[in-house]
Amino acid sequence: MAQRLKPVDVVTIGVGLTGSLAALELAKAGLKVVGLERGAPRYTVPDFQSPAIHDELRFSIRKAMMQDNTKVAVTFRNSSDETALPIRRWGSFLPGQGLGGSFVHWNGQSYRAQVVDFIYQTHILQRYGKKFLEACGPELTIQDWGVTYEELEPYFDRFEYLLGVSGKAGNIKGQIQRGGNPFEAPRSREYPNPPMKEPYFAALFRKSAERLGYHPFPQPSSNLSRPYKNPEGLDLQACVYCGFCERYACEHFAKASPQTVILPALLNRPNYELRTNCEVLRINLDSTRKKATGVTYVDAAGTEYEQPAELVLITAFALSNVRTLLLSGIGEPYDPWTGKGVVGRNYSYQTTGGPTVFMDESININPFMASGATGTVIDDFGGDNFDHSNLGFIGGQYIAGTMTGGRPIEFHPTPPGTPEWGLEWKRAVAQHYNHTITIVQHGTSTASRLNYLDLDPTYKDAWGQPLLRMTFDFPENDIRMSQYIADKVVEIGRAMGGKVVVRGGAKRPYTTTVYQATHNTGGAVMGDDPKTSVVNRYQQCWDVSNVFSIGGSSFPQNITYNYTMTIGALTYWTLDAIKDKYLKSPGPLVQT
Amino acid sequence: MTDLSRRTIIKGTSAIGAAILPATLTEKIARADSAHNQGAGSPANAPSGGAGVSHEAPSTTYLFFNTEEAAFVEAALARLIPKDDQWAGALEAGAPNYMDKQLAGAWGAGERLYRSGPWQPGTPTQGYQLPFTPAELFRGAIGAINKELAQRPFAKMSPDEQDNYLKSLEAGGKDLGGVPSDVFFAHLWQCTLEGFFSDPVYGGNRDMVSWRMIGFPGAYASYYDLVDQHGIKIDRPPMSLAQDAHGRIHMNPGIPARSP
Amino acid sequence: MICRHLLVALVTCTVAAGLGSVSAALAQTPSGAHVPDPARGAVIAAQGTRAGAPGCAQCHAFNGASDGSGAFPRIAGQSAYYLEKQLHDFSSNARVNAIMSPIAKALTPDDIADLAAYYAALDPPFLPLPDPTPALIKSGEPLAKVGNAAKGIQACDNCHGPGGTGEPPAIPYLAGQYASYTALELQMWQRGFRKSSPHQMDDVAKLLNEQEIAAVAAYYQQVRGSAGAAASR
Repeated sequence: MAQRLKPVDVVTIGVGLTGSLAALELAKAGLKVVGLERGAPRYTVPDFQSPAIHDELRFSIRKAMMQDNTKVAVTFRNSSDETALPIRRWGSFLPGQGLGGSFVHWNGQSYRAQVVDFIYQTHILQRYGKKFLEACGPELTIQDWGVTYEELEPYFDRFEYLLGVSGKAGNIKGQIQRGGNPFEAPRSREYPNPPMKEPYFAALFRKSAERLGYHPFPQPSSNLSRPYKNPEGLDLQACVYCGFCERYACEHFAKASPQTVILPALLNRPNYELRTNCEVLRINLDSTRKKATGVTYVDAAGTEYEQPAELVLITAFALSNVRTLLLSGIGEPYDPWTGKGVVGRNYSYQTTGGPTVFMDESININPFMASGATGTVIDDFGGDNFDHSNLGFIGGQYIAGTMTGGRPIEFHPTPPGTPEWGLEWKRAVAQHYNHTITIVQHGTSTASRLNYLDLDPTYKDAWGQPLLRMTFDFPENDIRMSQYIADKVVEIGRAMGGKVVVRGGAKRPYTTTVYQATHNTGGAVMGDDPKTSVVNRYQQCWDVSNVFSIGGSSFPQNITYNYTMTIGALTYWTLDAIKDKYLKSPGPLVQT
Repeated sequence: MTDLSRRTIIKGTSAIGAAILPATLTEKIARADSAHNQGAGSPANAPSGGAGVSHEAPSTTYLFFNTEEAAFVEAALARLIPKDDQWAGALEAGAPNYMDKQLAGAWGAGERLYRSGPWQPGTPTQGYQLPFTPAELFRGAIGAINKELAQRPFAKMSPDEQDNYLKSLEAGGKDLGGVPSDVFFAHLWQCTLEGFFSDPVYGGNRDMVSWRMIGFPGAYASYYDLVDQHGIKIDRPPMSLAQDAHGRIHMNPGIPARSP
Repeated sequence: MICRHLLVALVTCTVAAGLGSVSAALAQTPSGAHVPDPARGAVIAAQGTRAGAPGCAQCHAFNGASDGSGAFPRIAGQSAYYLEKQLHDFSSNARVNAIMSPIAKALTPDDIADLAAYYAALDPPFLPLPDPTPALIKSGEPLAKVGNAAKGIQACDNCHGPGGTGEPPAIPYLAGQYASYTALELQMWQRGFRKSSPHQMDDVAKLLNEQEIAAVAAYYQQVRGSAGAAASR
C-alpha cells in the first residue's frame, strides 16, 4: 500500500536537462516543486574529477553513466512482423542515468533547428508537391510541429546564453555573417562565446571544403571556449580539449550540464526538493481520466509512495516519456495496423555514418586533443538546404570534420584489406592511429507509420512493469539520402589528401549493436491536431491538461542536427506558457 | 647551499664531459637521465623499454581460469595480438590477466546485462540474446574447445595451425556448449582489445605498452595549449589512472566520498 | 655565498676549457632548424651571453634547484617546452618580471632552446625546506587532488598531472616547487599581472582565496615528483 505524501504544486519525472530547467523556472515562480530522479546524485567535485573520470573501460565500454540494463531495458525489432527482443546491452543508443541525465555525458554539439524544420510537411509539399513526397515513400508521415521557429527564436537565444555556447553566428536578423553558417536560421545576436580552437583535423576539413565551394563554419559547442558567467550567476571554465567528452562528465566545469548551468541555482531554493534513486511507476489519474492527481514512485529501499501534485511534468528523456504515458494510460496508444491512436506514433532516430580518411604518416592528427564539439562543419547538404527536385528523397545531413577523442579501445582504425587481427593488424594500428580522420555525416530521420513505440507484451523491468518496445528501421528515403551525401563526402576526404577514403552512408537494416547516436525522437509528438499528436504546441497532453511531456519525444520527425538546443528552446517555451497562461487559468491551453 | 658537485657539472656538459668520466659514473648518469620524464616517450629511452618490461609474458595469478583454460587463453591471445621485435603483444601486455580479473568480477557475473528470459536467437540487429553471463560463456565455450582439442591442445599447435583454428571459430558454424563459435570469438577478441588498450589499472596494457605503440598520452589529458598546434609530435610518456608522482601505478586515487 | 661564487668560477673555468672548441661545431641541421644543445645551454647558464644576459645559475643554480629560499623557482627537470615558452613570454611581456624580462629579451631563440634543453634534463635532489604547518599542507591536499565543490574549483592535478608532476610538454610540474613561488604566481594571475595561460590559470586563481593559495602551495612544495629523489610521500 503506497504511502501518501503531502501534496506539492509540481512533480518532475526525471531531473535531467528538461527536469532541472523546468524546476528552476517554476521554483523561481514560487511553486513548490519536487524532482524525482531514478538515478543517484553526482556533482563535478568530487565525482567527475580526473584521473578517475578518464577511464575508457569504465565509462565508454562498461557504460557507467548509462541506465543499468538489469533494471530497465528496451526491446527492439526492425519491423512489426518480427518478435521484439530485449536490448540486453546498450549499443546504438545509450540512455543516461544519474542526476543530470544524458546532459551530463553529452558531447556538447549545439545546433539550432532550421526555420522549415517546424513546418516540415507544409514546406515539403509546397516546394516539391504531393507526388514527389509520395514517391519518396508512401509510408512517410512527416508533420508540422504547431510552433514556428520565429516563436522559438527568443528561447533558442535564452538557452544558448544559459549554456554559454561557443560559436560564430552565420545569420543575424537576416544579415549573413562571414565565418558562420550561411544556411542557419536567423538569430537575434551572436553566440555568448567565441568559437573553440580549431584542431588539425578540422582545419584540414575546412580547407578542402572551401576549395570545393562549400561553406564551412565552426561547430557550435557547449564546451566553452573561455570562462563565462551565465544568467543564473553560475561560473563555467574553458575546455581543455581532453578527449574524454561523450560518455564522460566534465572535470573542469567547462561543459554545460545541469551540474554546471542549473543545479547550483536550483538546489539551494527552499521550495525545491530533489529525491534521487526514486523510480516513478506511473502517473495517477482521477476517475474522469482527464486529470492527474500525482505520481506513484518507489524509493531506493523499495518503499512505494504516492506523491500528489497539481501539475506533473514528464521530463524523463524521450523514450521514458513515451513509456510513462503508456504505463499511465494517458492518450490512445498507437496501433500500426489500423493507424489509429497517437502515443508511440512517429518514432524516429538519426541517420549517421561518415567516412574514414587515412592520411599520410607524416601528418600527426592527435585525435586525443579534442572536445566533444570541436570541429568544422558544412551545412550545404543539411535538411532542405539544397534542391531535391531530381533526387528522389527528402532530408539531408550536415557534414563535419569533427573528432571527439582518440581513446584506443574505441578507436584503432585500419584501412580496408587489413586482417581483422594478428600481427599485420597490430602493425596497421600502430601505423595509422595518429594519421587517420573520421568525418561525420549526421542528418534527418523521416517519420514513418512503420516506426513506433509501444509496450512489450513479454519482457519487464525490475519493478515488474512492461519494457518499452521499439519497432524501427531506416526508411528507404533516408538510405537514399545518406548514400547521395556519402559520395559528396568522399570527394572532401580525397581533397584533404586522404590516401584511402572508406565511404560512409547508412544501410538497412538498422542495427542496435553499433553506436550511432542517442537522439531518439517522437512517440509523443507535438502538433495542432489531436488525431496526429499527443501534446499540443506547448507540449501539454491533449487528454490530461495538467500533464506536460517535455523533450525529444515531442519531435514529429528528427531534424538534421543534434537536438539538445531545440529541446532546451522548447522547454523554455513550454515553461513560459505554464507560467504566463496555465498557472493563471489551469486547463487546456489549446482548444480543439 | 647549492649542490655543485662534480657529477652535476659533468652531467651538464653531456658528450664532452662524459668522455672523460670513468665508465661506471657515465652509466649512472645515463640511467638517471633516461628515468626522467623528459621527452622520453620513444621506445629507446622509455623507462622500461619500448617493448614493455621484457618480451616475456608476466606470471599471472588466475582467479577465474583453471590451468587448461589459461593455457588456451594465453596461446590464443598471443596469436590475436602477437609480439614483434618492436612492441609486445597481448600476452606480454598481460591481457590474459585482464580477462581473468574481469571474468572473476562483476562484469563476468553479468552486471548491466538484461538477464530475463524468454530467450530466442533473434536477428543480428537485435544483438546478444544468449542466456549466458560472460563468465558462463567463456567457461562453457573454452571447455568445449579444450574437449574438442583434447588430443592436440591449442597451446601445442604451431602458430599457423593456431591461426587457422581461430579463423574457423571466427567464421562461426560451430557450437561450443551452446555458444556459437563466432559469438565466442567476438567476445574473445573484444576482451583482447580491452586487455591490450585499457588502463593498466585493470591488469592489462602492462607499462602502457599499447599506448606507447600508438602514441596515446593516457588518462591525464589537458591540451588547451597544444590543440591548435597542428601536427605537433606529442611524445611524452603516457600516464595512467593510478599513477603517482613517482610514476608508480597503485590503487589509491584518493577520491573522497564527499567534497572536502 | 663566497663559497658559491668560487664554485661558480670553478665551474665556469672547467666548462669553458672543455667546451670552448665545441660550441663552434654545434650542429645546425642541414635544413637550418636549430637542434637544442644542452651543452651550450650549460655554458650560458654558467656565464651568460655576450649580448649581456647573465648566467641563470646565479639565481637558479647550475643544477636548477635554485637556492632554497623560494625567491627563485626550481627549474630543474621542468619541461623544455614550458621553460622555452616562459622565456618567450618574458620576452614578449605576456609575463612581466623586473629580473626575468630584461634577461629574456637579451636571449636569442637559440639560446632559449639550449637553456631549456639543459635545465630540462637535470634532476638534482631537493633542498631541505622551511617547515610550513602540517595543517596547512593537509588543507592543500584535497584542493590539489579533488577540488572544492562549493567554490566550483576543480582539482589542480587534473591538469598538473599525478601528484602535480606536470603534463609535459605544456603543463609544468608543481611537485617540489617552492611554496612562495607558487603562491606568488597564483597571486600574479589573480591580480591580472601574469597574462600567460589566459582562460586557464587566471580563471582558476580568481576562485582561490589567500588561505587556499598558501595551502595548495605548501602542499605541492613537499610532494616529491622525481623518480630519482628521496621519496617522502
